[in-house]
Amino acid sequence: MIKIENLHKYFGKLEVLKGIDYEIQEKQVVCVIGPSGSGKSTFLRCINMLEEVTDGAIYIEDIKINAPKTNINAIRAEVGMVFQQFNLFPHMNVIDNVTMAPMQIRKMSRADAEQLGHELLKKVGLDSKAYSYPEQLSGGQQQRVAIARALAMKPKAILFDEPTSALDPEMVKEVLDVMKNLASEGMTMIVVTHEMGFAREVGDRVVFMDGGFIVEEGTPEEIFGNPQNERTKAFLGKVL
Amino acid sequence: MDIFDLQWDIVWNYRDMFIRGIGITIILTLSGYFGGIILGLLLGLGKLSQNKLIYWPCKLYVDLFRGTPMLVQILLIHLAVIPTIFGQSLGYMVSGITALVLNCAAYNAEIFRAGIQSIDKGQMEAARSLGLTHNQAMKKVILPQAFRRMIPPLGNEFIALLKDSSLVTVIAAPDILYASKVVAGASFRFWEPYIVAALLYLVLTYVVTKVVAFIEKRFSNSYVPRKAEGREAR
Repeated sequence: MIKIENLHKYFGKLEVLKGIDYEIQEKQVVCVIGPSGSGKSTFLRCINMLEEVTDGAIYIEDIKINAPKTNINAIRAEVGMVFQQFNLFPHMNVIDNVTMAPMQIRKMSRADAEQLGHELLKKVGLDSKAYSYPEQLSGGQQQRVAIARALAMKPKAILFDEPTSALDPEMVKEVLDVMKNLASEGMTMIVVTHEMGFAREVGDRVVFMDGGFIVEEGTPEEIFGNPQNERTKAFLGKVL
Repeated sequence: MDIFDLQWDIVWNYRDMFIRGIGITIILTLSGYFGGIILGLLLGLGKLSQNKLIYWPCKLYVDLFRGTPMLVQILLIHLAVIPTIFGQSLGYMVSGITALVLNCAAYNAEIFRAGIQSIDKGQMEAARSLGLTHNQAMKKVILPQAFRRMIPPLGNEFIALLKDSSLVTVIAAPDILYASKVVAGASFRFWEPYIVAALLYLVLTYVVTKVVAFIEKRFSNSYVPRKAEGREAR
């Protein structure tokens, strides 16, 4: 469903991604792990063009997204994103955060959008907070709203950029539980994470990145149980 | 002591002129300010543009108008620019408002630019990741947040413009200061007319200060509507 070919990304002269090839199937949950600075967030951000690709190609359902003719807004509407810092819109209440994009882009009526919004908020367990503002919510609650906001566009895939890294430890679980639910419903997900337990339990594939390369890739059992590469072993030895 | 022998009736005899002057000052300031907001927003957005053909003219404009005295701008516009373009003067009102708009816009542009840039870039990314275009994201997400941060500096700019509008006296616009000059010229008394001018400006800026303070308070810190506060507490 998402295919990445020979992806290179430079920030100025610094080469952050040094040729990534990968393919993600529909309904797969791919967890990307690796040390800081390994390029995993950049890799994720390239997939919906939040970072401009320097070289290579990214295809989403056979449409090359980094081609000049491609309407990137239409592609982004199909690929949701959840950020480390939540990035909820502070001037809108929770339900408006969720309904804004479907109303703006899908031209959904307010009534339909709000119905969808309440459904999604129920799904993340926060319908009671529909008329609260982001600043009134805990970090974990904000991140769950952010997931509902991404779901409101009915995306074909969701990208998670370290969704629990900015959370207090006791709030990590509520967010991971929502993500687990999504995975069990068959959502295609790419998750950059430091939560090894989540990667092992929920991931269909685990990708280990280091130094701008995909060093190793496999099922959670393969990566966590029997890593082949020395760098993977060294990294897992430190974090597990 | 001669200077304490103040004769306020001199000013009182010219009260109609002062009242008209207040009107002119208010019209000039309001027109200049709201024109300056619209033009300033465009210039501010222009200064944020990646396109060099948009960025550089906007930057040049702002640098030019912030780097030269308003008095010089007023004289140039009234005596040189407008007569050259239209073949004749269009009167103090057109020249005065034009000068104030153009000048105020340069300052407002910087306020808008800074306000927009102060919004965390994650907000734009989140909006774009949902599929909003850059313009939609600006309108729905960035500007509503940025405007709130712009209120204090925009209030200061209004007060500054109100005072600076007195410079149009130089092209014989009959504002508050002009009335004082006429009184002074006719009576050779200087304390009374200029004290009155100062007091009138002081009253006007005081009123504006209060209004700005009210608006600031109304939009301070929290986005949570007052009524909902507490009720929706975590």
